[in-house]
Amino acid sequence: MIEEVGLERHPVDFAPGAASRRSGLSHKARRIATPYLLLIPALVMYAVFTVYPIIRQFDLSFYNWHIFPGASNPFVGWSNYTAIFHDPVVRTASINTFLFIVITVPVQMAIGLFAAAVLTDRLPGSIFWRAAVYIPVVTSWVVVSWIFSYIFASQGGVANWVVSLFAGHTVSIDWTAQTWTGNAVIWLLSIWKGVGWSFIIFLAALDGIPRQLLESARIDGATERRVWRHVVLPSIRGAITFVTVLLVIGAAQVFTQIYEITKGGPYNSTQSLMTYMYQTAFSNFFFGYAAAMASLLALILFGFSVLEIRVLRTQDV
Amino acid sequence: MKSSIGKRWCSRKTMTSLIAVATVAASGAFIGLSGAGAASASQRPKATVTLDFWNAYNDVTEIPVMNATVIPKFEAENPGIKVNDDVLPYDGMLQKFIAASAAGSPPNLMRSDIAWVPQLASEGILLETSKQSWFPTVKAQADPGPLSTNYFKGGYYGIPDDTNTQVFFWNHADFAAAHLSPPTTWNQMIADAKKLTIPSKGQHGLGVDSTDIWNVGPYVWTDGGNFTNKALTSATGYINGKATENAVSTLVSLYKSGVIGSDMVGGSGSISGETGFPTGGYAMYFDGPWAPTSYKAAGFTGYSTALIPKGPGGSVSVVGGEDLVIPRNAPNMADTIKFVRFLQSPFAQLAMAGAGDMAAYKVDSAAEAKENPALKIFAKELLTARARPVTQAYGQLDTDFSNEVALMLAGKVSVSAGLNTATQEANKALAAGS
Repeated sequence: MIEEVGLERHPVDFAPGAASRRSGLSHKARRIATPYLLLIPALVMYAVFTVYPIIRQFDLSFYNWHIFPGASNPFVGWSNYTAIFHDPVVRTASINTFLFIVITVPVQMAIGLFAAAVLTDRLPGSIFWRAAVYIPVVTSWVVVSWIFSYIFASQGGVANWVVSLFAGHTVSIDWTAQTWTGNAVIWLLSIWKGVGWSFIIFLAALDGIPRQLLESARIDGATERRVWRHVVLPSIRGAITFVTVLLVIGAAQVFTQIYEITKGGPYNSTQSLMTYMYQTAFSNFFFGYAAAMASLLALILFGFSVLEIRVLRTQDV
Repeated sequence: MKSSIGKRWCSRKTMTSLIAVATVAASGAFIGLSGAGAASASQRPKATVTLDFWNAYNDVTEIPVMNATVIPKFEAENPGIKVNDDVLPYDGMLQKFIAASAAGSPPNLMRSDIAWVPQLASEGILLETSKQSWFPTVKAQADPGPLSTNYFKGGYYGIPDDTNTQVFFWNHADFAAAHLSPPTTWNQMIADAKKLTIPSKGQHGLGVDSTDIWNVGPYVWTDGGNFTNKALTSATGYINGKATENAVSTLVSLYKSGVIGSDMVGGSGSISGETGFPTGGYAMYFDGPWAPTSYKAAGFTGYSTALIPKGPGGSVSVVGGEDLVIPRNAPNMADTIKFVRFLQSPFAQLAMAGAGDMAAYKVDSAAEAKENPALKIFAKELLTARARPVTQAYGQLDTDFSNEVALMLAGKVSVSAGLNTATQEANKALAAGS
């Protein structure tokens, strides 16, 4: 009875397209507009938290900017940018950041891909091993940085204990207080913690390769090396591009592990661009100069990412 | 069936009625609540104000006294004001403070390292205390040295909270084993440091915790050197002056021969002097007034303190300490100032002296010594101690000097070349800050 009353009293209200007819929008227009309307919250967030800070940062880079609202901020033109090219610490930090990228990114990708290929469903205990490879990803950067500091402590550290065992006498290497050993500790930690991320992406990509493709290649007599070169790697090219671009962007922004382990020392020799920017802005209060460095880095990374995507899309892997 | 019910409930007329009823009900409730609020307003006690006090007090000595003695007394004397003792790690406190102040949500008060005050003042973050009506009283009561650390370009931007300096600590067992008596001159201390270095025992003669001015300053000043001129406008002839070069050369040579331990270069894994001195890692060490309490807590009593042995420049240690700074845009300013005044009162100053914080005001020195007898030697050393350059450029100057000394220790630059570079950088920083 209720149903009937409802239908009788409001047959037009719920007919398809009735609302749009009332509001003057056709069904087609609504269908086109809906996705854009749904995108609005995300776009607003993106504009407020990403686009605006980037534009504001670029704006700040032309001033001798003071953080407190209402302070006088003299316009200095391009001088913050020209100073970057004469700053020896920027040179050291750029070299360290570049080394960090070229060392940690390929190693993480290689180990991640190897682990994804080895830890297949057929391997006994594969779930355990997959979890073991992935667990470092979910640990806190700060906590693991401190753990690595203890491992590489000059006195009482595990690393020195191991070296002492091999050396046959007590060794007291000050790992984190020297340039190359300090950098090596940071690289090692970053690779250990980052491998799981590449691994999980490659695992998904490898799972997506049609089995028939691999089987037909093998039936045609292709060796495993040829199967990988001509079937597997081209099939996961998208994943490789994705992992490379994101790892490079992430590596260029290396911060926490350096800040926690060496603080950029000794004598700025383990400084990265991000740690130096932070120190410039929040310890020395040169916000405009730090903003100029950040803008330049963003520009370089953007250009590099575009280049990377183009190269990886056009070339056979 | 279900959809029909939904249709019926969603009809425009029904919805309009429901919204109207809900609006009326909500308004009624609001009016009712407001009425209840108005009725009880006269009976309600004055609202409690909570003051956020940021500091980096240590948990062994300072926090217990602040929370069990100082704050309860203030709160008892000032009903309606609560103090939230917000203890932060020293490393990130400055950064957090400037970010919070710029964002408009600063704490009411921060216990700032004396070296940060000119920097924060230059950014326009701090309340100029010298413009406050109560400041002349504070100025009259404060010791001139700690007070001067609040000075920036013609005004004061904080008030002293506590002061400190470093004195000479020597290990009884190490000296007895080497048949030595404690040094009274600079040269004797250097000679003893060499004799007290025993690599097989992991024992260094001297502990120097870093290459920064807080740690290296006493060595430079006592040896007759300095960092800038009095006007804080130039480092030429000071950082790269002959006396400073002699002092730094001595330190570099002691480090390279293993007399000074790896704590000087730092790194997260190195053993600090304060950790290594009680465990036999360093036979001699310069440390502050907090050390006796820490050593006592660790059960270490086999040491004595003395004035820093006299060198060509005298016995010159470094002035340390903290100032109380108020952000310009801090809320509840009047209540904050009440708390600030309380912290500089003899009651709070003497209570914190028991925790190793030397009073920065002319309180009865006998009372302070009674509260904490170990402070006596520090008070004496303070008479000849020197402040680090009080300038907004100090952070940059200190970083550049420290990095150059670290490069010298690593053998990457000669002492004279490193000091010349540090001088050039210091001059740039001083010029930018003038």
